Amino acid sequence: MIHLRDVEKSYTRGAETVLACSVSALDIAAGEQVALVGRSGSGKTTLLHMLAGILRPDRGTIEIVGKRLETLGEAARDRHRGAHIGMVYQTFNLLQPFTALENVLLGALFGRGASGEARVRAEALLQQVGLADRMHHRPRELSVGQVQRVAICRALVNDPELILMDEPLGNQDRATGGQVLDLLLQIATHGKKTVVMVTHDPQSAARMQRTVDLHALRPAVGGRA
Amino acid sequence: MRLLSISLRNLRLRLVATVLTMASIVVATGLYAAILVMAEQTRQRYEGSIGGYQAVLGPKDASQLELVLNTIFNVGEAPGLFPLQACIDLREGKGFSRRGQVRYAIPQARGDSVSSHAFPVIATLDEMFGKYEWQGAPLPFAAGGPFRFGWDDLMAFANDLTAHENARRAGAASPPPRPLLREEWKKCVIGARVARTLGLDLGSVVVPVHGKMGEFGFHEHPEAACQVVGVLAPTNSPLDTTIFLPLGVHYLIDGHETGVFVVEVPPGRTPDDAKRLPVSPGRLGLTAVVVDPKDHFGARILRTEFGTRPDAQVAWPQDVVPKFLRQIGNVADALTVIAWLVLLVAAVSITVAIYNTMNERRREIAIMRSLGARRLQILAIIVGEATLLSFFGALFGLCACHIAAFVLRPVVEDQTGVYLDWLTFRPWELWLLLGVTALGAVAGLLPAVKGSLTQVADNLAPDS
Repeated sequence: MIHLRDVEKSYTRGAETVLACSVSALDIAAGEQVALVGRSGSGKTTLLHMLAGILRPDRGTIEIVGKRLETLGEAARDRHRGAHIGMVYQTFNLLQPFTALENVLLGALFGRGASGEARVRAEALLQQVGLADRMHHRPRELSVGQVQRVAICRALVNDPELILMDEPLGNQDRATGGQVLDLLLQIATHGKKTVVMVTHDPQSAARMQRTVDLHALRPAVGGRA
Repeated sequence: MRLLSISLRNLRLRLVATVLTMASIVVATGLYAAILVMAEQTRQRYEGSIGGYQAVLGPKDASQLELVLNTIFNVGEAPGLFPLQACIDLREGKGFSRRGQVRYAIPQARGDSVSSHAFPVIATLDEMFGKYEWQGAPLPFAAGGPFRFGWDDLMAFANDLTAHENARRAGAASPPPRPLLREEWKKCVIGARVARTLGLDLGSVVVPVHGKMGEFGFHEHPEAACQVVGVLAPTNSPLDTTIFLPLGVHYLIDGHETGVFVVEVPPGRTPDDAKRLPVSPGRLGLTAVVVDPKDHFGARILRTEFGTRPDAQVAWPQDVVPKFLRQIGNVADALTVIAWLVLLVAAVSITVAIYNTMNERRREIAIMRSLGARRLQILAIIVGEATLLSFFGALFGLCACHIAAFVLRPVVEDQTGVYLDWLTFRPWELWLLLGVTALGAVAGLLPAVKGSLTQVADNLAPDS
C-alpha cells in the first residue's frame, strides 16, 4: 500500500536550507493502522503531506496505492488524493459557510464526483456517526465532537483506500476523542482501510496496530542528513 | 453540489461586497443599454417618418433642420408663417420647371395643442390621408376615417375671408360677414397614442389649446372643439401623437385673426400701414407645405428654384435627416464610449473586490485543494463568482433599463418626441448580456490565478 524509499524534503528559509523530513524506508501494508510519532519538528506533518501528494519530495520515491507520487504532476496527484485518500486534520478544516452534509459532499465533489450516489453515501455516513439530525447545520452550530465526526465522514465519502489523520484528537477531551477514534477505527477496520495517524498522544498511538517513530526512520549517521 | 454552487455560496457569504460590486455592473449595463435604446429609437423614429413625401416648404428665415423637425417630427415650435401663394403656385405648377412639378402639395398650419401632454394640433387638408404613406401604403385607420376639408374648400374659404378682411381694412360700413366656423368642419382625426393616453374614441370631443397647457398665455378654444371622426392605427411615429383637423378651423379660432394673413411691410411704410393694405387669398399664412415632387430629383430642383423666391424655401428631409442622425450618432457614439469606460471600471471593481478576498480565503482554498481540488477547479470557482456577478449585474441592468424606459417614457416623449418602446427585448440585449458576462469572467481571472496558486501545505493550519 505505502512504500517510501530515501525520501527527503527540505525548506528554504532565507539563505538557510532546513531538512524538514527524512525517511530512509517505510512500508505500510494495506489495511494496516499505523501511528506516526515523533517530537515536534521531526517532520510528521510534512511526511503526511507527502503521502497525500500535497508536497512533492526533493528526492526518493513514494508509492501509494500503486502510484509513484513523485512522478506525477500536480493535477494528477490532486486527482489521486481526491479518489484514494481521505484526510482528517487536527483543526477539522470544515468550510464554515457549508452545512455538515455539504462539507461531506465537497469531499465527494473533488474526489470521485458529487453524484446522487455520493449524496446517498454522505447521508448514510452522517447517519452512521449519529448526525442524522445535524446534516443541515453549519460547523459553528455543532459541538467539537460533532465537527470531528463530520470531518471523518468527509474523509470517508469517496470510500478511500487510505486515511491520513493529523493529530485528529488534539483539540478535544480524551473521552470524546477516544470515542471518535474508536468510531473511525471501527469503520476503517470494517472497510479494510489503511490508516496513518500522526499523533503526540501515546494512548491514541496505542490504539493503532503499529507505532512508527519518525526519528527511527531517519538514515543512520553517515548517511544523508 | 457543483462548482457553481460554491461560487454562489461565496458571493452570498460576502453579501455587502457582492451587492455593491453588482450595483456598479447594473449601472454600467443599464447606462449602456439606455444609450443604445435611445439612439436606436431616435433613428427609427426619424428614419421611419420621412417616407411618402420628399420636401417641406417653409418660411424663408427658418433653418432647414428646424423646418423638417417641426413639420415631420413635431419637435419644437413652428418656425414662422409664409403665404399660401407658394402652395398655390406649387399645385398649379406655375413658374416651375418640368422637373419641379409636384404630385401633391398639402398645406399645414400649427401652433395649438391638446391636453397637458401638449399633443400638437395640425390643421391641414383631408388630402393628406390619401397621399401620405406609412410603410408604402396610405395612412392606416384603426377606426373611422378622415374629416372632409379639401383644397376647394380651402380656396373658397380663403376667398370669403379675404373679402371680409379687405372690407374691414378699407373701413367699409357693412363688410361681408366673417366666414363662420361650420359644424361640418369641426371634426378631427387623432393619432393612436393620443387616443390611448387621453382615452378618446370616435365621437369624443377634443378642445385645442393655444400654446401649451400650463405655459404662459395658454388658453383653450372651446369654440373650435372638434369631434373625433377617425383614429389612426399605431405607427410608432409622430403621427401617433398628433391631432389633425381642417385648416379652416385653424383660421377661425378666436385670437388667430392677427396671424391669418402674412403681409409684408412695403419699404417706407410702417407695420400699422401694412395692416390697412389689401390682402389676397394667397397671403393666408401657413407654417409648412408638405410636397411630393414628381421627379426623383424634384426636391433638389425645387430647393434651387425656391432659392430665388423671397417668400418660402424648400427643405429636403432626405438630406437634412441623415445629417441630423449623424450628429445624433456622434453624440451616441461619445456616450457609448463613456458607457464602455463605466463598464470597464465596473469590471475592474469585480477584480478588486474578489482579489481583496484572496488573502482571507487562502485557508478555504487550501482545504479544498487538500480534498483533491485541482488548481483549475479553484480557478473555475473564482471565475464563476465573477461571471455570476457580471451575469446578474447585466441582467438587472437590462431590466433597470426597461423599467427606466417605462417610467421615463412620457417625459422623454414630451421633451424629445422619441417614443421609448420599453416592452420589446432586442437581439443586441442578449449580446450585451453575454458580453458583460464575458467581461466579468475575464475580470475574475487575475484573482482566480492568485487563488489557484495558493500553497496548500502552508495554509492548512488556521493561523497560517
